[in-house]
Amino acid sequence: MRKKDLFLMANQNLWRRKARTILTCLGVIIGTASIVVMISLGIGLRISMEQSMAQWGSLNIINVHPGMQWDESGNPTGEEKRMTDETVAELAAIPGVTAVSPQYNIDGEAKLGRKEGYLNIVGLDPAVMGELEFSVEHGRLLAPEDRFAIIAGSQVINNFWDERAARRGGMMMDGPQQQDPAELLDQRIQLTIRNQAGNERKQNFFVVGILDEKNMDRSWQVYASIHDVKRLRDFMMKGANNTGQMGPMAKEVMYSGSGMMVASTVKDSPSRGSRKDDRSNDYDSIMVRAKDVAQTKEVSQELRDRGFNAWSMADSLKDIENVSRTMQAILGGIGGITLFVAALGITNTMVMSIYERTREIGIMKVIGASFADVRSIFLTEAALIGLFGGIIGLGFSYGASQVVNKIGADYIQQGMMMGGPAANISVIPAWLAAFAVVFSIFIGLAAGLYPASRAIKVSPIVAIRNE
Amino acid sequence: MSPKPILQAKNIIKKYRMGTQVVSVLNSINLDVYPGEVVSLLGKSGCGKTTFLNIAAGLERPTKGEIIIDGHLLNKISESKMSVFRRKYIGFVFQLYNLIPSMNALENAILPLVFEGIPAREREQKGRELLKTMGLGDRLGHKPSEMSGGQRQRISLARAIINNPRIIFADEPTGNLDSRTTKEILDLLISTLRKNGQTLLMVTHDQEVARHGDRIIEMADGKIIGEKVM
Ligand SMILES: Nc1ncnc2c1ncn2[C@@H]1O[C@H](COP(=O)(O)OP(=O)(O)OP(=O)(O)O)[C@@H](O)[C@H]1O
Ligand SMILES: [Mg+2]
Repeated sequence: MRKKDLFLMANQNLWRRKARTILTCLGVIIGTASIVVMISLGIGLRISMEQSMAQWGSLNIINVHPGMQWDESGNPTGEEKRMTDETVAELAAIPGVTAVSPQYNIDGEAKLGRKEGYLNIVGLDPAVMGELEFSVEHGRLLAPEDRFAIIAGSQVINNFWDERAARRGGMMMDGPQQQDPAELLDQRIQLTIRNQAGNERKQNFFVVGILDEKNMDRSWQVYASIHDVKRLRDFMMKGANNTGQMGPMAKEVMYSGSGMMVASTVKDSPSRGSRKDDRSNDYDSIMVRAKDVAQTKEVSQELRDRGFNAWSMADSLKDIENVSRTMQAILGGIGGITLFVAALGITNTMVMSIYERTREIGIMKVIGASFADVRSIFLTEAALIGLFGGIIGLGFSYGASQVVNKIGADYIQQGMMMGGPAANISVIPAWLAAFAVVFSIFIGLAAGLYPASRAIKVSPIVAIRNE
Repeated sequence: MSPKPILQAKNIIKKYRMGTQVVSVLNSINLDVYPGEVVSLLGKSGCGKTTFLNIAAGLERPTKGEIIIDGHLLNKISESKMSVFRRKYIGFVFQLYNLIPSMNALENAILPLVFEGIPAREREQKGRELLKTMGLGDRLGHKPSEMSGGQRQRISLARAIINNPRIIFADEPTGNLDSRTTKEILDLLISTLRKNGQTLLMVTHDQEVARHGDRIIEMADGKIIGEKVM
């Protein structure tokens, strides 16, 4: 029997009982539609999560802090991990880690021309900034020989405002104006810091680059060489512990940095400081870059196992992934049950059809239909029910998906101001559409197996022996 | 008569088990049918004609005995291969026509060719020509329910001979038709067979009908009790 004849015959047979076929298809339609919509929700959720995650920060970066461990009743267990050059080397040796930089943070009041503001400075090893996924939209990244140069996040310019102009023009009434981040490029920003002894120091920074806007995590900070930040930090520390040595240290701090840069991270090493448990020179944190998202999770876990406090966007992603996976499983399960019931419907319809057509099957066998022919006819009919149901169900899924997205978009835009372009919460990728149709055909085939095997067993005698 | 029979029934015994009872329907039937022959199997209702015909056509298995068609021993052919064997060697005409109600005259007539895998064009042309010679040229698109008994049986005949089987089995092919139509149908069937040198084994309880054959085999109580050459 030819394939074409097989399909034509099966199709014809199906539409002899229109109402029953449509009702049977309906089961598949509902099953397919619910499975597709449910999976699409899971996919959409994940995609929009990942998108907003990527916006919030780099997924491969782990921030490592000195870990303080607590037991269940809240008492500290063991000693806090120290962050020294040994630690940096230790972290760099962890498999999956591609770049490591120690980090100091300082902040202070700052001036940009006549504008006043506030500066959060993060000191990093300029040599590895590129590898730590810093990328500039304007200007360039830091070079190791830069002295008191900074690159600024895209929002940093909004930290500065001209108070006098604002007072004059009443601009503040409208809230802070969005300013073009590029305006900050090649500008001089003057930072004012004070130490605990009450001394004040002003330091000029030159903006050599502006970070691109993707990464909201970094957009309110400026980044400088860790050596520069260390100097300022040392100055700020002076009033606290080493008051006696203030003279020479202050002198060192006054050193403007125009000369050769000799100090390296290793030379600045806190561990080589005078006293063994002097922690004042310990790094504030260490920034670690892992090879990819999967490695990030592994490395984070490894760091926690070693007693550090490790945090990365990927960690949050993992939680969300779990939630979304659970949701997909639940939703998919509901759809699966629906489809299972639909499959039973197909089987039932086909068995009924075989009862009705027993005689016809017998006749066909007498006039030369082989087992394979009879089996094929019934399997094809069942598969066609699956196919029709699958295609129509997919059509409904697209409709439902659009409705869900429309409702979702309205909801999101009402709910939060900075939604950006509202992400679709239901996404039907091509593979899902193809999968849905193939799967429903498969369901039809599977449901047709039993009826087909019964059809084969119909004896040709029944065609002759009436009743 | 040519020496080699196209159909040989050797010592066919058929018993049915009805609960604890065993009903003996056929008691050692021996019959040879030669190529080109038209053989009538005549007997009273319930004597086992249909049972024998079904066994000879491979639709039912004998309790004992052998059926050989064109040199092939049917006992050895598996159930799944039997359909293909029938498609090649056997045509079958039923008393109640047994057409497929959802298919029109042409579709019914050419159904065996569909299972044989003949392309649509070829088989439709063949079917059209055959139905035309049977006087149904203007009924090709009609469903069986829209046709008379005689017309239906003609479709059924067309279906039985369309793939040129060596032997045709007919079970009371005119059982539901009036005497005039009966003669028409039988003349049509036999003349068509003669043209192609095909063989017919026909079951009937009607003397008149049986007389169309070259040979009449008389049956009673599951046995052959006589033979008459016309
Ligand atoms: N499946 C079966 N089980 C039990 N007995 C059967 C079966 N089929 C046929 N018989 C019996 O076998 C006998 C012969 O039946 P068969 O149909 O061959 O008769 P027939 O000669 O064709 O009669 P008719 O002319 O009425 O068609 C009958 O007595 C019938 O009851
Ligand atoms: Mg009978």
